Amino acid sequence: MTRTLAGDVVFAAAGIGSVLSAWRVFRTDSMVRAAYWLLASFVGVGIILVLLSASFLGLVLMLMMAGEMTIMAVFMVMFMMNPAGLNPMTMVHQRRSATTAGVVSFLALAGVGLVAHFPDRPVSPDARPTAELGQELLGDSMLVFETAGVTLLATMIGSIALATHKGRFGDAQSSSLPPPVDPAEPVAAEGAAEPPESDPHAGMDHR
Amino acid sequence: MIGSVVALLVLLAAGVVATALIDSAVGAVVGGEPVGRALKGPFTRSALLAVQGRTTTERPDAGTWRLAPALLGGLAAVGAAAVPLGRGLAAGDVPDGIVLFGVAMALVMVAVFLHGWSPNSPFPLFGAYRFAALALSYEMPLALVLIGTALPAQSLSVGDIVSSQAGLWNVVRQPLGLPLFLVAVAGLAFWGPLNVADAPDLVGGTAAESSGPALLAWRAARSAVLVAAAAMAAAAFLGGWNGPLLPGPVWMAVKTMGIVALVVTSGHRIPRVRLERFVVVAWVVLIPLALLDVFAAGIVAL
Repeated sequence: MTRTLAGDVVFAAAGIGSVLSAWRVFRTDSMVRAAYWLLASFVGVGIILVLLSASFLGLVLMLMMAGEMTIMAVFMVMFMMNPAGLNPMTMVHQRRSATTAGVVSFLALAGVGLVAHFPDRPVSPDARPTAELGQELLGDSMLVFETAGVTLLATMIGSIALATHKGRFGDAQSSSLPPPVDPAEPVAAEGAAEPPESDPHAGMDHR
Repeated sequence: MIGSVVALLVLLAAGVVATALIDSAVGAVVGGEPVGRALKGPFTRSALLAVQGRTTTERPDAGTWRLAPALLGGLAAVGAAAVPLGRGLAAGDVPDGIVLFGVAMALVMVAVFLHGWSPNSPFPLFGAYRFAALALSYEMPLALVLIGTALPAQSLSVGDIVSSQAGLWNVVRQPLGLPLFLVAVAGLAFWGPLNVADAPDLVGGTAAESSGPALLAWRAARSAVLVAAAAMAAAAFLGGWNGPLLPGPVWMAVKTMGIVALVVTSGHRIPRVRLERFVVVAWVVLIPLALLDVFAAGIVAL
C-alpha cells in the first residue's frame, strides 16, 4: 500500500487511540468497561495491521477479540462478586510495582521503535502477506501446529459435551421440571434420592 | 469514495423503512386487518418516539447507553459496505470482504451487550446476557457457511463470490448454506423466533429502559443489521446481481428484501424459542451441519 496523507492520519489516530484506551483499562472502575476499553485498544492495533497491508490478520484480530472480550467481561463479573460490573471497584492492585513495570516496559518498547532501523522496501501489490507470514512463522511445522489446533478444538468440544446437562444440582433437565401438583409427591426426576413407593407415610398429614 | 458511502447510507435507510413497512403489512395480513391502515403504523409510531421524552435509570453508564445504538447502526453500515450491489458497485468490496462482514457482525454482540448493560437495570441486563449466549451459538455456523461460499470462488471478496455463481447459485450448490445462514440472520438482528434479547417476556429486554429518540435509533439500527445480513445472504447464496432481464442492482434489492420478508414473516408465524434449547440445537445440530457444508464445499472445490 502506498503512503498517503489519509493513511498517516488514520495510522496516528489508531496508534494514539489504542495507547489511550489501553491506559483507560486501568483507570476505569468496572470490569465490563475495562474489558471493552481493551477491545477498543485491540481494534486500534487491528486498524494498524490493515494499514500495513496485513488486512486479513488485522480483521481476524478484531473478529477474535469481539467475542473474547465479552466472554472475559462475563467471567470477570461472575468471579468478582460484583453484580453486572456497574458498582465502582478498583481495577489495580500492587499499584507502585505495577505502574513502574508498565512505564518501564512502555519506554523500552517505544525506545526500540525509535532507535531500531526498519527496512524501507516497497512491497508489490500482489504480495500475499498472510501466506508469507504463515510460512515465516511455522514453515515446515505447519502440519504439526494444525494437528495440535484441531486436537485442542476437539478437546474443548469434548469438555463442553461432558460439562453440559450435569450441573451442581444434578441433571440440568430434571431441575427444570414443573413441581408436582401434590406437594407431598416428590419430583419424578432421574436420580431422585428415594422412589415414592419406599416411603408409605409421605404426605399422610396432608390427606 | 464519499459518493459511494452516501449511497450506501441512503440505501440502508431505505431498507430500514422497507423493513418496517413489510413487518407492519405481514402483521396486518396475519392478524386479518386492513393492510392499508397498517402501512401508516411505522410512521406514526416513529413520529411518536421522535418527540417522546427520554427516561433514565439510577446511575446508568450514560455515555455507553447513548453510544450503543450508534455503534449498532455503524456496524450494520460496515457490514453492508462489503456487499456489492452490482459488478464493482460497493462502498468497500475489499479483498477480505467476508472477513470484514464477519468483524462487523461479531462486534454486534458488543453493541447489544453494552446496550443491555449500561442502563444499570435488571431486565436489560438479562437481555444482554441472553444475547451473548445466542451470539456465541449462531456465530460459528455463520462463519462456517460463509467460508463455504468462499471456497468455490477461491477468494474472500464478496464480488468474486457473486461472480462464481454466474452458472449455478450457491443455494443449489451448497443446499445447507442458506438455511443455516438464515438462522444466523435472525439471531444477528435478534428478530422473530430468535428475539431473546429484546423479548416481550423481559418487558423489552435490552430496550426495556429506553424511550423516545434513543429507542427509535435502537430499533432502526437493529433493522439495519437485518438488512445488511440479508444483503449478504442474497450475495453469498442467491447469486447477488445475477438474474435475467432486470439490471443487477434491482435484482440485488429484490433478493435482499425477499430475505428480509422471510425473516420478518417468521416473527409473525413462529413462536420465540427458549434460549437453552436453541443453544443445545446450535451446538449439537447446526455447527456439525455447517462443518459438513464446509467439508462438502472443500471436496467439490478440490
